[in-house]
Amino acid sequence: MSAVLQSLVNQPYKHGFVTDIESDIAPKGLNEEIIRLISTKKNEPEWLLSFRLKAYEKWLTMSEPEWQNVHYPKIDFQDISYYSAPKPKKKLASMDEVDPELLRTFEKLGVPMHERAALAGVAVDVIFDSVSVATTYKQKLAEVGIIFCSISEAVHTHPELIQKYLGSVVPVGDNYFAALNSAVFTDGSFCFIPKGVKCPMDLSTYFRTNTEGSGQFERTLIIAEEGASVSYLEGCTAPRFDTNQLHAAVVELIALDNADIKYSTVQNWYAGDENGVGGIYNFVTKRGLAKGVNSRISWTQVETGSAITWKYPSCILRGDNSVGEFYSVAVTNNYQQADTGTKMIHIGKNTRSTIVSKGITAGHSNSSYRGLVRIAPTAEGARNYSQCDSMLIGDQCGAHTFPYIQVHNNSAKVEHEASTSKIGEDQLFYFSQRGIDAEEAVSMIINGFCKDVFQQLPMEFAVEATKLLSFKLEGSVG
Amino acid sequence: MSEAISTSYLECLLKSWQAKPAESRAWLNQLRARAIDCVSTQKLPTKRDEEWRFTDISPLTALPYRPSQPDSTLKIEDVQHLFLDDAKNRLVFVDGHFSQSLSAIAEPAALIAGNLPALLSAHASILESHVGHYVPFDHNVFAALNTAFLQDGAVVIVPKNTVVAEPVHLLFIATQHEVTSYPRCLLIGEAGSHITLIEDYVALQQAAYITNSVTEISLAGNAHAKHIRVQRESAKAFHLANCAVSLAHASNYQSVSITLGSQISRYNLDVRLTDEAAECTIDGLTLISDRQLADTHTCIDHAKPNGTSHQQHKCIADDAAHAVFNGKIIVRPQAQRTNSSQSSRNLLLSKTAQVDTKPQLEIFADDVKCSHGATVGQLDQEEIFYLRSRGLSETAARNLLTYAFGAEIISRIPVSSLRQQLEQAVLDQTQSNPS
Repeated sequence: MSAVLQSLVNQPYKHGFVTDIESDIAPKGLNEEIIRLISTKKNEPEWLLSFRLKAYEKWLTMSEPEWQNVHYPKIDFQDISYYSAPKPKKKLASMDEVDPELLRTFEKLGVPMHERAALAGVAVDVIFDSVSVATTYKQKLAEVGIIFCSISEAVHTHPELIQKYLGSVVPVGDNYFAALNSAVFTDGSFCFIPKGVKCPMDLSTYFRTNTEGSGQFERTLIIAEEGASVSYLEGCTAPRFDTNQLHAAVVELIALDNADIKYSTVQNWYAGDENGVGGIYNFVTKRGLAKGVNSRISWTQVETGSAITWKYPSCILRGDNSVGEFYSVAVTNNYQQADTGTKMIHIGKNTRSTIVSKGITAGHSNSSYRGLVRIAPTAEGARNYSQCDSMLIGDQCGAHTFPYIQVHNNSAKVEHEASTSKIGEDQLFYFSQRGIDAEEAVSMIINGFCKDVFQQLPMEFAVEATKLLSFKLEGSVG
Repeated sequence: MSEAISTSYLECLLKSWQAKPAESRAWLNQLRARAIDCVSTQKLPTKRDEEWRFTDISPLTALPYRPSQPDSTLKIEDVQHLFLDDAKNRLVFVDGHFSQSLSAIAEPAALIAGNLPALLSAHASILESHVGHYVPFDHNVFAALNTAFLQDGAVVIVPKNTVVAEPVHLLFIATQHEVTSYPRCLLIGEAGSHITLIEDYVALQQAAYITNSVTEISLAGNAHAKHIRVQRESAKAFHLANCAVSLAHASNYQSVSITLGSQISRYNLDVRLTDEAAECTIDGLTLISDRQLADTHTCIDHAKPNGTSHQQHKCIADDAAHAVFNGKIIVRPQAQRTNSSQSSRNLLLSKTAQVDTKPQLEIFADDVKCSHGATVGQLDQEEIFYLRSRGLSETAARNLLTYAFGAEIISRIPVSSLRQQLEQAVLDQTQSNPS
């Protein structure tokens, strides 16, 4: 079986190409000057500059964390260029004016924007190296009062919202990488769903890092007002590079009374080659605040790429009866490392949370689930159910679980289950007996293993996720 | 806790050691010297250390706990009620110092049991190859302190293919106020031997004191050991314990640890399956109330293939008590076909009680069966309803269910007199709860 799996597992990265577009790159290094430069380049108001500087000051006093179960050479933060944007061109009125080179890139990635927009009915806010260059479906969304634009645009058009909510869930000094992001973030998405509006379509952003040596510091802010609901998709692929790229994003979600935010991610950044050279460092802070009563925040993630994935999408369940969900599939291969999981902080009464985490580990990779379930003394009748399963493929990989359970209220009910397994010879035998070859059998077993999570993904993503797992583990070219 | 206090506290402790006479054995002196070096490079852990995240031991430094002195004014009548009827082999230590007059060995032919100084000359080589070999103290300041102060201790050696019929009762009695005692135990089970060992910590006083104990257990091929550990120190005591177990080929270790006493207690249990087909079963029950804090850290390290481990740990926390459990299971790359299960079940009886539990798996082999589970909650309403429908009062139903929750672990103790005592203790605790 191992020979079959080996061939299935060793698939070259399919999205490895570099688009040649002239970039406007800031000099390497990080200091107050650079932050002022970013702020000036982006023509930002004074309060945002002071937000950045405050974060930078905090960052200087902090030290890089060491508790994580991932290992990487020390990052030289002075060797990173903190700003890179495609050269500003004249304002774009239609898709035709978008750089054909850029369009070809998306073509290669399988994101035919105009087609996708028309056929799939998805508004794609395209992020290409930190600056938003094309936004579709804005008009349609604007009709129902939804604001969906890049965060740098929102800073100018809706400063009161940004000022009110930016940093309210992830404070500037929350952690080392969040502080760094707050100081130097260049762009990202902003989404505001007003009171009582159900977003008529799934909102989607494609991220893509392009310039070698430039870290991407995305900032996403999603606000759902009373009774609003939205489903947000984030997907990423990145070209092949040999120097490691740092990606330290911050995502903040805020759900008011009866609001519902569903955030789905498919992550397929470049993972490095089979010897563990290169690949993206994906150090992300994602946190949702279920502020209002009966609000709901749901994270779904399929993590297949990145040399290192290190993130804990979290829910702070402050509103009474609020609900937090976390569904995750993390696939690691070769020398990839993943330390991911979630935090569910129960504060409100009758808050509920569900955690389903599936880890698939192959090659020399290591994958950890690290989770926190905290029931505060105020969280009467809180309920949590956690399940984290690991599947190991090969005897050189490792799977780890670190669930922290902290219960300070006796009316709470908390359950945690974890198991570790492998694809059994008897399972494969059963399939082959039914005329299904090993390759397809492995694919089916893995898809079955991840079913609970894939079911949570929106349709298009579910298809893509299944495909991604095939790239990763199954060997078929297609 | 400030660094200055922590350092001076340790210095102060070490100074009191200087006065001790040196043992005649060079290896023992070297071991102690190494431990002293270790202490001088370390600090007392704080909540910033991951291993001590939930346990604040700074109250420890509030009093200058000097080392306990040998003081054997205790008569057999004073302590007789602490003896177990069905454990005729008995070694008694008062404040960490061996008491010959209170001890008795019923089966001198079947086992070698005594205190360290008495056995040092007759069994020098075997002691040298075991003492201090299983509990590392490089990163463990309490184990280092214990080793630095090492002079007395219980030694039990079970010869090859010997079955010790009667359990061996190691009784540690605390009588002095504001002292630190450093109990030390060593169990060596030679190939094919069987033994039941009871490690029992009790107090004849209610004042504050510290017990800092280290237990080392080494089982050779096919050796079997049952290890029952009962911590029923006084309510003001601090109890810090390290236990390390090394399991050779096809050996079997079963442990039941019961935690009832101490204002702050910490128990580290490390079991290493160093050869194939070793088995261990580790059960624990923590039953605490008032403002007690009980912290249990276990680590089961599967280093070789075909190992089996089962663990069940239960905590019952009442009032403002705080129970901590951290159970780590490591499956190393060669340890294929490991079968391991772990469950942590926690019962909160009051609104202010709290539990922090972390069942942790670290797996590096693919052909393994590992699972863990953790639950935290209060008594099941349906179970209470069922009992009420049978005519029990709400209180009686709750007490019965709480008792049953704890009794599951206690029922695994193979020594009936001890089992009855502990069942009674659980019963007293649950009955005293009026809610």
